[in-house]
Amino acid sequence: MLNREEVLKIAKLARLTLTEEEIGFYQKQLTRVLGHIQDLNQVPTGTTAFVQHIPSDAEPFRKDDAEPFPSPLDLMKNAPSVENNSFLLPTIVEHS
Amino acid sequence: MEFGIQTIKELLSGYQKKQFKPSEVIGAYLTNISERDEKINSFLQVRIEESLGRAKRLDEKMCEAETLPLFGIPIAIKDNFLVSGWQATAGSKILSGYVSPYTATSVERLEAMGAIVIGKVNCDEFAMGSSNENSAFGNVRNPWDLERVPGGSSGGSAAAVAAGFASVSLGTDTGGSIRQPASLCGLVGLKPSYGRVSRYGVISYASSLDQVGPFSRTVWDSARVLEVMAGFDDRDATSSKRSVPKYTEELKNISEKKFTLGVSRKWLEGVDPDVAKSFEAGLEMFKKAGGKIIEIDLPHARYALSTYYLLATSEASSNLARYDGVHYGYRTQSATTSEELYSRSRGEGFGREVKLRIMLGTYALSAGYYDAFYLKANQVRKKIQEDFEKAFTQCDFVVAPTSPSTAFKLGEKTDDPLKMYLSDIFTLPVNLAGLPGLSIPCGLDSKNLPIGFQLIGKPFGESVLFEAAQQFEALRGEFPLPGFLEGACRR
Repeated sequence: MLNREEVLKIAKLARLTLTEEEIGFYQKQLTRVLGHIQDLNQVPTGTTAFVQHIPSDAEPFRKDDAEPFPSPLDLMKNAPSVENNSFLLPTIVEHS
Repeated sequence: MEFGIQTIKELLSGYQKKQFKPSEVIGAYLTNISERDEKINSFLQVRIEESLGRAKRLDEKMCEAETLPLFGIPIAIKDNFLVSGWQATAGSKILSGYVSPYTATSVERLEAMGAIVIGKVNCDEFAMGSSNENSAFGNVRNPWDLERVPGGSSGGSAAAVAAGFASVSLGTDTGGSIRQPASLCGLVGLKPSYGRVSRYGVISYASSLDQVGPFSRTVWDSARVLEVMAGFDDRDATSSKRSVPKYTEELKNISEKKFTLGVSRKWLEGVDPDVAKSFEAGLEMFKKAGGKIIEIDLPHARYALSTYYLLATSEASSNLARYDGVHYGYRTQSATTSEELYSRSRGEGFGREVKLRIMLGTYALSAGYYDAFYLKANQVRKKIQEDFEKAFTQCDFVVAPTSPSTAFKLGEKTDDPLKMYLSDIFTLPVNLAGLPGLSIPCGLDSKNLPIGFQLIGKPFGESVLFEAAQQFEALRGEFPLPGFLEGACRR
């Protein structure tokens, strides 16, 4: 079973604040799923390559031409908090 | 004339004969939604004025019913597609208030060919789920039995068509999210080959597995939607440049081909007895048409669940990192630093299953576990793909039930993630291998709930997949309608 510290470490990496109740809940759920996943160890894979999931005729390396987005103001309308046409966030660096 | 269960083909024929106009049809479907969706909870947004306005404009151009392949067809879109100016929630609180600044390519192509998007439908949060019980906007109920789930994650898309609220709908399928709900709601559901349909404008869950596809009442309708929206899109670097066949032209006559179907009996162990019986009856139908059933081996299919839940969650943990409360969507009210703002917005904004999957993926990609989990799962994915390649040297299709059971009761599987994940054991390997898969209704169980038969084809083999499915459909005959529709509409 994953311990409390391990769950908190994963949550920190994932940038998720969990409630006390959630820590216990995910301890059980993650343990249950990770326990099942161990069955992959039964498969001998050696040097098996990865799947190339992208179709061979796709163009993953097309030209990266930058174009201005036609309606940037629409993007800003979605922001939770805006000031002077900028996204507003809490203070990162405190004034000394 | 009442509307609700008409196919694309029937509506187009009626328009061409001038029996009715788009505004009458769209108006009738909108009325169905306003009067009856309270019981189903499939729609999250309905655009009454906008869709009626579009329909009225088409009323003035009835001659276009001859040329536009989706003229005046009411369509519902899963709420993880972007439609410019419409809200998009992906079933999540974290996207509250988000209005899409552009439209998904698939939706754009359908609209350009005459389709009318009447609204956006409920789904499991970020398409993560098999029952639609993970939506921040409540459960969707199955029109075949209101105490049961419609399947997921595209549960709203399936229920909306089954309930007579749209002629067809769009969903996304990452591990079975179109085929499983289609099976549970008695519809045709298609997951095209990976790369067949552009994913541009679709909210990402697991980018190497996600694919867009239609729900419909018939195989012909599925083919019509696919031929309109498939094809290369330079805004999706994984979309194929292969030309798109005129699938419906190829379906003019019922095929007389004798198909060879591959079945892996070992894979099918543990299936619900009613489902097994109906699946066997489906195989018999193909035999009647001269088809052959052969035994094949898919030795790694049993590892698909573990493989999927490592790869999909790893990709999700990266894709969902963008929801941080900074640029759009939900923002916590209780943060004093940026770090707190990210993690509290995410902790409060994401639902239970999404947080579980983000953490699983984060764990699989974290230092010390990458080789044991992510790398291993990618190698097993290759083994699964090789199993199918080998099978296809012996048969035209691999077949299986779409889901091991019919629709289950609301709340029946919510406590145990593994129980829920097992709903998708027959659909997951298809996404891992990038293949096209189609679910077609094949019978009803003892509780009068629909059962789906899944045909899995070779990469980009949609033409022959439709051909076989239409042959099956003709032999099966008309499929019954859910009790919810009794007396509600007629052909």
